[in-house]
Amino acid sequence: MTRIDQFESVFKSADKPLFRYEPFSVGTPLVLTDLDDEAAESFAVLSGKYTGAGGSREVSGQRVIKGSDFATIEECLDLIAGEKPDLICTYRGLHSDCWRWGQSLGSYVEVLTQTVKVPVLVFPHPASAAETIAAAEAGCRHVMAMTDHLAGDSRLVNAALFFTPAQGTLHLTNLEDQQVFERYMEAIDKIPSIDSAAARDSVLAQILKEARDYIKSCRAVVEEQALDVEIQETVELGLHVADYKRLAAARDVDLLVMNTRDSGQLAMHGLAYELAVELNDIPLLLL
Amino acid sequence: MSFYLGWISEAHPAVPAWVTLLFVSILTAMILCLAFEEKLHAKKSVIAGLFAILCLLLGAVFGLLPFGPISVGGHEINLPVYIPAIDWGVIAIILGSSLFVDVTSRTGLFTWIAIRLTKASGGDPLKLLVFYGLMTVVFSAVLNNVTAMIIVGSLSGVSLKKLQQEDKLLGFLLVEGLLTNIGGLLTLVSSVPNIIVGNAAGIAFIDFFLKSSAYVLVATIVTIALGSRLFGIHRLSSEEEREQARELVAGFDENDGIESRFFFWFGAMMTGLFILTIASTSVLPYIQDLGMGFVALSFAGIMLVRYKAVADKFYEAIDWDLLGFFAALFVVINVMEHALVLQLIGTGLSTIIDAPSDIAAAGLLAVSAIFSSVTDNIPLAAMLAKILQAREHVPEQLWWSVIFGANLGGNLTPIGSASTLVAVTIIHKYKIKLSFAGFIRKALPYALVHIALAIIYVLLFF
Repeated sequence: MTRIDQFESVFKSADKPLFRYEPFSVGTPLVLTDLDDEAAESFAVLSGKYTGAGGSREVSGQRVIKGSDFATIEECLDLIAGEKPDLICTYRGLHSDCWRWGQSLGSYVEVLTQTVKVPVLVFPHPASAAETIAAAEAGCRHVMAMTDHLAGDSRLVNAALFFTPAQGTLHLTNLEDQQVFERYMEAIDKIPSIDSAAARDSVLAQILKEARDYIKSCRAVVEEQALDVEIQETVELGLHVADYKRLAAARDVDLLVMNTRDSGQLAMHGLAYELAVELNDIPLLLL
Repeated sequence: MSFYLGWISEAHPAVPAWVTLLFVSILTAMILCLAFEEKLHAKKSVIAGLFAILCLLLGAVFGLLPFGPISVGGHEINLPVYIPAIDWGVIAIILGSSLFVDVTSRTGLFTWIAIRLTKASGGDPLKLLVFYGLMTVVFSAVLNNVTAMIIVGSLSGVSLKKLQQEDKLLGFLLVEGLLTNIGGLLTLVSSVPNIIVGNAAGIAFIDFFLKSSAYVLVATIVTIALGSRLFGIHRLSSEEEREQARELVAGFDENDGIESRFFFWFGAMMTGLFILTIASTSVLPYIQDLGMGFVALSFAGIMLVRYKAVADKFYEAIDWDLLGFFAALFVVINVMEHALVLQLIGTGLSTIIDAPSDIAAAGLLAVSAIFSSVTDNIPLAAMLAKILQAREHVPEQLWWSVIFGANLGGNLTPIGSASTLVAVTIIHKYKIKLSFAGFIRKALPYALVHIALAIIYVLLFF
């Protein structure tokens, strides 16, 4: 019955997820800081450059929680629950000095990303190196949505599109995990009934094609919606953290957008956490 | 029986009656083995091959076989006795057309048509059933019923899953399986019994199409209407549901399987040309002498040029089991002919065949349908064709009774035809429970309607 499988594969391959444009809604963003009045306001101005609260988009102002408003994680979460925000803007090392060593997001931000269901926009710490802050203050021109499974992820692309300004560039990046791929290919190499070389070529071509087809449908929708955004595609096999870092640097990215949760998982998934910790000089949108 | 045996012994004293009876039991055993092929875990070609070996051996022992040189174009040549026993014209048609269809399917043509129709339905279940039903009939007629079932059945599985209408999959697959045997009646080359009986009766392609098409049209409409009613396949009721279904099927990309635009159009052109040439083989100068097998093999050869470097992959994909089965089956039937078994069956059938013409036609159609429902319709068609060929002045009605009966009997049981077996395989692949008896219960209303319609059709129009 191999011919049934053969035709079923042809039809499954022809069945492609299409990008559904559903404009990302931010409403009133919540700016969460541990700074005093003046510093908190200047961070709010910085985050407004990204969220559009500065006037470039339909965002109805932003609320600010200052350092003096809470002293514990519990109080912080209570305040957030009371505000019911659509987006939280904060920075790594909130209420912590871990940002100095770049080994962690800090306990507040880590708890936040695990317990709060809304997206979190994480900036470098306001006291980071001057060039990092200067880059962030320059605003958002090049946005990169990164994942290892882009096809069908309309939420990720819609969120990235929201943060990409007119005439900006949206880099849609699908990086398939080379180690996982090699692991499966090694197993296939040991199965006599499977042609190893053909399997390697076909599997790789198919997984990359799925992402490329999806990006094609994103382009078509962006064009149809007359969004003044350039879509750039990067679809390849690579080593996750190292290659994401390389790609972000090479594309001079101002904001990285990524998923942090798998279904049925409370904590941030492994790759998202690694990236969030390692890419400490670029603002991140954690979905 | 004793009367028939006595008559045969008197007419052909060289073959003792007990030898004929021995071969009858061998034939019965082969038919039973073919019917229980799945239970025996043995391929058809192996079963028929072993019986062919046994028949040849016993045929030689009892001195039944005509050994010696044969005359070809005035030249005497020595060929093993089992070589001229095989109908190479039929083998060439099956080999050529299956190779042609296999290579042409690589152009993406058939999947393109299938996906375009899926999108045209807007994902509405009833429209989908109508489109898939028509597509099954046309593909069965143009390609062959197994390929048609594989294409339409696998698409049904994928598209109904996408539309979250998996509960309707059984209805779709069953209706499609039954329609393969209806579509298989449309042309002379649509099914193997048509090729065998049509060749024996000397029915031309166009004549066959003109005479069968009205029945195929009516039976298709009735089957789809009955399928919609019995399986509750209706139109979507709200605009919201329709919009959602439209969006879901819009995700299908009909161009995905097309490797080369040029080859796609070349494949479409060649398919059209293939049908035209096959249809006009009997009137084309030179081609009529070479036959339909030559046409099929030539078209396959031309299509293979595109894949000349990997042609061996297509040879590997040929259904050698089916071809081996045909070859062995022709050998068995040839030996049965020499052992006077066919004559015995023909004499037995004479009570039906020699009855008043309408009763004969209806009876032969019903008997053919019943027999082909429990065993392969190919040996049945081959045997009945030989029996009718041996008679003088066979009315046209009787040839058509065999054609209709052999094709439609396949709808009574899951083992009645290769395409219904494919339908059941796909049903089980999707973890839908359907037993042998369950299939009969569900298919019986359709099969009875098909057979009743065919009897009326044969009686009224032939």
